Amino acid sequence: MKKSFYLVLSLLVLASMALASCAPPAAQAPVTTDLKEEEFTGLAIAAPDCEYGGMIKEIKAVDEFTVQFTFCAPDPAFPSKAAFTAFSIQPKEWIKAAMESREILEKPIGTGPYYIESWNRGDSIVFKRFDDYWGEKAITDTLVFRWSTEGAARKLELESATVDGIDNPSPDDFEALRANPDVALYDREAMNIFYLGFTNTFEPFDDVNVRKAISMGIDRQRLVDNFYPAGSSVASHFTPCSVANGCVGDEWYEFDPVAAKAMLAEAGFPDGFTTKIYFRDVFRSYLPEPSLVATDVQAQLKENLNIDAEIVVMESGAFIEESSAGRLDGLYLLGWNADYPHITNFLDYHFTNTNPQFGTPFPEIYEKLAAAAQIADPAEAESLYVEANNAIKELVPMIPVAHGGSATAFRADVEGAHASPLGNEYMAVMKPGDRTTFVWMQNAEPISVYCNDETDGESLRACEQVIESLLSYEVGGTDVQPGLATACEPNDDLTVWTCKLREGVKFHNGFTLDADDVVTSWGVAWDAANPLHIGNTGAFEYFTYLWGGLLNAAPAE
Amino acid sequence: MTAQLSVNANQVEKDYRANSLWRMTLRRIGKQRNAIIGMVILGILLLVAILAPVLAPYDPIEVLIGVEDVGKREAPCIHLLGCPADQPQHIMGTDGNVRDVFSRVIYGTRYSLFLGFTAIGIAIGVGAVLGAISGYYGGWLDMIIMRILDVLMAFPSLLLAIAIVSVLGPGLSNALVAIGIVSIPVYARVVRASVLTVKEQEYVKASKALGGSHMHILIDRILPNSVPPLIVRGTLGIGTAILDAAALSFLGLGAQPPMPEWGTMLGSERNQVFSAPHLVFYPGIAIMITVLAFNLIGDGLRDAIDPRLSNT
Repeated sequence: MKKSFYLVLSLLVLASMALASCAPPAAQAPVTTDLKEEEFTGLAIAAPDCEYGGMIKEIKAVDEFTVQFTFCAPDPAFPSKAAFTAFSIQPKEWIKAAMESREILEKPIGTGPYYIESWNRGDSIVFKRFDDYWGEKAITDTLVFRWSTEGAARKLELESATVDGIDNPSPDDFEALRANPDVALYDREAMNIFYLGFTNTFEPFDDVNVRKAISMGIDRQRLVDNFYPAGSSVASHFTPCSVANGCVGDEWYEFDPVAAKAMLAEAGFPDGFTTKIYFRDVFRSYLPEPSLVATDVQAQLKENLNIDAEIVVMESGAFIEESSAGRLDGLYLLGWNADYPHITNFLDYHFTNTNPQFGTPFPEIYEKLAAAAQIADPAEAESLYVEANNAIKELVPMIPVAHGGSATAFRADVEGAHASPLGNEYMAVMKPGDRTTFVWMQNAEPISVYCNDETDGESLRACEQVIESLLSYEVGGTDVQPGLATACEPNDDLTVWTCKLREGVKFHNGFTLDADDVVTSWGVAWDAANPLHIGNTGAFEYFTYLWGGLLNAAPAE
Repeated sequence: MTAQLSVNANQVEKDYRANSLWRMTLRRIGKQRNAIIGMVILGILLLVAILAPVLAPYDPIEVLIGVEDVGKREAPCIHLLGCPADQPQHIMGTDGNVRDVFSRVIYGTRYSLFLGFTAIGIAIGVGAVLGAISGYYGGWLDMIIMRILDVLMAFPSLLLAIAIVSVLGPGLSNALVAIGIVSIPVYARVVRASVLTVKEQEYVKASKALGGSHMHILIDRILPNSVPPLIVRGTLGIGTAILDAAALSFLGLGAQPPMPEWGTMLGSERNQVFSAPHLVFYPGIAIMITVLAFNLIGDGLRDAIDPRLSNT
């Protein structure tokens, strides 16, 4: 009696197990929502006129797979910007359903090679491979993001093989990592600039010869050799050479203390003068050792030009505010990290006629830049950028010093490992030996993964595994490639860009990408009056900055 | 008879001198080993400070990039201990800006001793005047002065110093003033207490009856009594002042780069504790030794002077 009961029970268990293993894999999408897919209707959002301050005139779904962007002024940089993660696409149904509840901040529905399985706040994010991905599917089944703010802790985890890759090992550890055969270090190309700024409305920096003398009196090679990790370089121009037209024109002044001293004497300061060196004590890839660099600049000014400089450390926020408003009366140490790989992101931002950062802007520079910004073909724009770069060298609004390198490090057996100049390492192409899980450790936890309203690189990297934009950057590089759109073509005067969407692209919840999704994704960010213009902080900073302004934005106070 | 008397008077004079407070103190302090050690250390530190240019092999603010074949944050290299002779000798290594740490530590002695003595000098100067006035005159003046000092004393000293420096702006001299101000109440209280105990004594009254001016009575008759406790307090206070100054400099509010101040040296290399420990070890040890010296002397002096402890 008892025996037969157990026999039946065990048979039943076996049978159910067999059934389970034989059952066909579930055909349903990995992310389930109780939403109904809406039909394509052909949405369009338009600004009444171009007076609102921004660049975009209209975003329109022409047909199911065509989106048309109309601009108030020619925009040759559109492809570079449209590839940026801050303009990623999610299904319109999900944006409507999850924006207000803020669910979208942690559960994005994208088209990327991975989808987010779980986010254990404060600990890790677990990604799973999306099997219906339109492109090349991810190699590893599971991807885990972890984080630690301490460089030493990240290095330790990598060495003990609890993670497969880490971001930003400390420059001091580069040698140890290189010497370790189990670990491979990947230098990240420097897409940034560190410069010594001054404001030309303050004496004695109003004299171009003083600025030039300082420029020649500082040994920039010495700064790079001593205070920057491998992969850094002395800046020959303001823009790094990896950006098209970045370093056309003459190279920056050679270090020549004798000529510098003579020039300073000619300008009326044979015995030097006293000034200040302002900086913030914050680690940036363009300035990994702020206080050491400040002290060395101080020593060089004294030694080469007899300029007595007092070092002033400022709080980060106050420093940015004062320097960008042009209120610092001495030299200041500042830099810039590329948002998107285009020369306008470097030159236009810093030298336009509305930026008071270096004092009174120079028409010789900004007029050339404005003209060049209207031209799409880099070869055609080159002559203008040569003139602009030469004008920068002649007028010395600041002294470009270095492009600072940083790095990633991976276990030696990881295939496809790389370091991206834009900081968007792409894990789908990486194969961690014979392990089935890839663990990545970065500097900090993402703030949210609704990246249309994030600016922080740690968040953007997590988003890039999950959600995609119209165009994309090449893996480990900066070239713009097709993404969700197979191509974006301009009209003749670059004011209208038409993007053809890839057909049959599935979102993680099984919905199909259409032009309405694009219009909605862009529209909620662009139109400040849209009830779904919520995001994380609601600032949509990149949108504001890259497209000139938001539609219906509240008037500035 | 007269001879006898004069001998007696001489004897009394001798006895008096032999038993004077200073003699007694010196005799007692000579028996205290700790105080002797403290004074020896302090003597050495003073010598180091005075002879810094002779002792230091390098200019403390000279950046050695291009001058010598030496990298930044290099570990100590001592020829006697097996460091190859063709490498430049840096007894305590080099710092992040490629400067000789040994020279910086040596020059740092000057700043620390100067800071300690001056800050406490300011505090004693101002504190003694305030304490004497409020103790001697009493009444509402006493009330006002002492309540203000009580308020000063209610703040944690370092916090108040930070607040003062934030108002005055960072810098060595401002840090010095800040620490001085913060230390005033202690000395004012010490002086006031001794003035209060002494001012009703017969000899003071006698001086008054003889028509001595207030100034004369206060300075010649009363204040000498508060010198011993002030010295004890002051010696201990110098140690604390040096520590506070190092803390301010560590926070970037005191000595400014490139001054070789110990606290600044600690602060600028604090992130390198693991990768280049010598950069924080030596300045840290220097601060410790200096403060220890003052504390040993201070303790010794107190034991020697304080009658409650010196009944043997």
